[in-house]
Amino acid sequence: MGVPVSGALDRLSAVYANALVGNEPASPVIEVIGSLAVKFGVDTVVAVAGGYPRVFLNDVEVRPWNPIYCSRGSVLRVVPSGVGYVHYIAVSGGVVCDKVLGSASTYVRGGMGCLGRTLKYGDVLEIGLTDVVDVWGRVSDLKPPQQLVEIHSSIGKDALTLRATEGIHSSLLSDVDVLLRGEYVVSAESDRMGYRLEGESLGSAKGLGRLPSTPTDRGYVQVPPDGKPIVLMSDAQTTGGYAVALHVVPPDVDLLAQLSPGRRVRFKLVSIEEAEQEVRRYLDELEKPRLIREELEYWG
Amino acid sequence: MGVKEIRIVRSGGYVVHVDICVEVSMECVKEVHKLYYATKKELSGFVEEVVPGVSSLAVYYDPRLTSSEQIESKIRDLWLWARNIELKDLYRPRKFTIPAAYGGDFGPDLQSVAGWAKLTEEEVVRIHTSRAYTVITLGFTPGFVYLGEVDPVIAAPRLETPRVRIPRGSVGIAGRMTGIYGLESPGGWRLIGRTPLTMFDPKKDPPIPISPGDQVEFKAIKPEEFDRLVGVFVGDYTA
Repeated sequence: MGVPVSGALDRLSAVYANALVGNEPASPVIEVIGSLAVKFGVDTVVAVAGGYPRVFLNDVEVRPWNPIYCSRGSVLRVVPSGVGYVHYIAVSGGVVCDKVLGSASTYVRGGMGCLGRTLKYGDVLEIGLTDVVDVWGRVSDLKPPQQLVEIHSSIGKDALTLRATEGIHSSLLSDVDVLLRGEYVVSAESDRMGYRLEGESLGSAKGLGRLPSTPTDRGYVQVPPDGKPIVLMSDAQTTGGYAVALHVVPPDVDLLAQLSPGRRVRFKLVSIEEAEQEVRRYLDELEKPRLIREELEYWG
Repeated sequence: MGVKEIRIVRSGGYVVHVDICVEVSMECVKEVHKLYYATKKELSGFVEEVVPGVSSLAVYYDPRLTSSEQIESKIRDLWLWARNIELKDLYRPRKFTIPAAYGGDFGPDLQSVAGWAKLTEEEVVRIHTSRAYTVITLGFTPGFVYLGEVDPVIAAPRLETPRVRIPRGSVGIAGRMTGIYGLESPGGWRLIGRTPLTMFDPKKDPPIPISPGDQVEFKAIKPEEFDRLVGVFVGDYTA
């Protein structure tokens, strides 16, 4: 009925932020692009995930991708470090939001979900009730897979490879291989609907004009008549009339979300079987994040 | 030309896209709806979601439970089966009447449509309100309703440059399609009128009662009546 899936731009990071504070994977989190300071009115456990921002608890630097105990009255600040772009703050118990269509996600364009808008200075958010001491006991030694943290702590340094299958209209675009040749740069005109890419344009898109509206989804690489690709993101329209050249596999869309304007990507074509394998692994991980207990340094 | 072959494209590891025809026509739309309702009914245990387009269908599946090959072969079977049945055997369409105020601030492009059609504004309104339209699909933005088919006499093309902001409830024309913007959004359709009804209410379940295949008629109303009907939910309105 035209409602975008919405939700986190980088789903896996949001899920890990939740898991690190003992929440259900899909609990409401705060998505941060830029800086944010939060003051807590109660003792709670928080975690920041997605990219590798600088995080301060009462002006003391603490690590992202890690459970953090915040006492009542303390202030947590998330500050961009240039590594990654969207960061998630999960709070034990979750942010309390009225659900719309079974979702707590904010869809700003539709004015729907939670506050129905982006947060502003002075907003007060309610968090779910939890036994903080119990939560801390369960999560304090949890950490996410080392590999995931490594990917996020160096994301954007080199061109990110986006694995993609052919898209709905690959066969209509005679020069779709242009996309697979060179690097593209994330444009400053990107938003939650789509990340626009600058680079060699596809000449064949011009001749196609407008196609009958087809259902579209996150990860679709649309090519409007100007030939410049747009990767659809979480708040994308649900139907579109532009040619779809490629379809980026969901876990790589999460990583793309972490690129700020100016960062580089390249596309790599994969088979449907390979894509299905990636989706299986991804859905499993979204439902059951793979947390590790930190090895104890002594026994007994 | 009838619809004979479907073209299936699998993508992303979780989508099976079914192209039903190349040229958009109401005959094709009917086939899309048949396959849409047949898929929803017969494959509900297999697929996560089915979304109709104007001439195509997207089927979303969980590759842990099934594979695109399996979905594809089931859809081909359903297609053959659906060829021999009527849409009404799968879905009983509902009828909706949409009151709309035409022209002026309500429909800033009514004049340009009239100019394009070489008719008066009144004649454009009379033609627009004189037939029932089929709901082709919903989409683009929440509550946007695609309707067809517009009388060729008033089928003015969409604007060269889309508007950044279109008020909710706006009724537009784009070639042989007419449509209603359920929420404020950008868009490039020529706006001829606006309905005071609330087309999309996220607090309602479902937020919009209109489904693909339903019938929609427009009824011209005066500005005074527009004010009186502001906020009435489309599902609660009776002409």
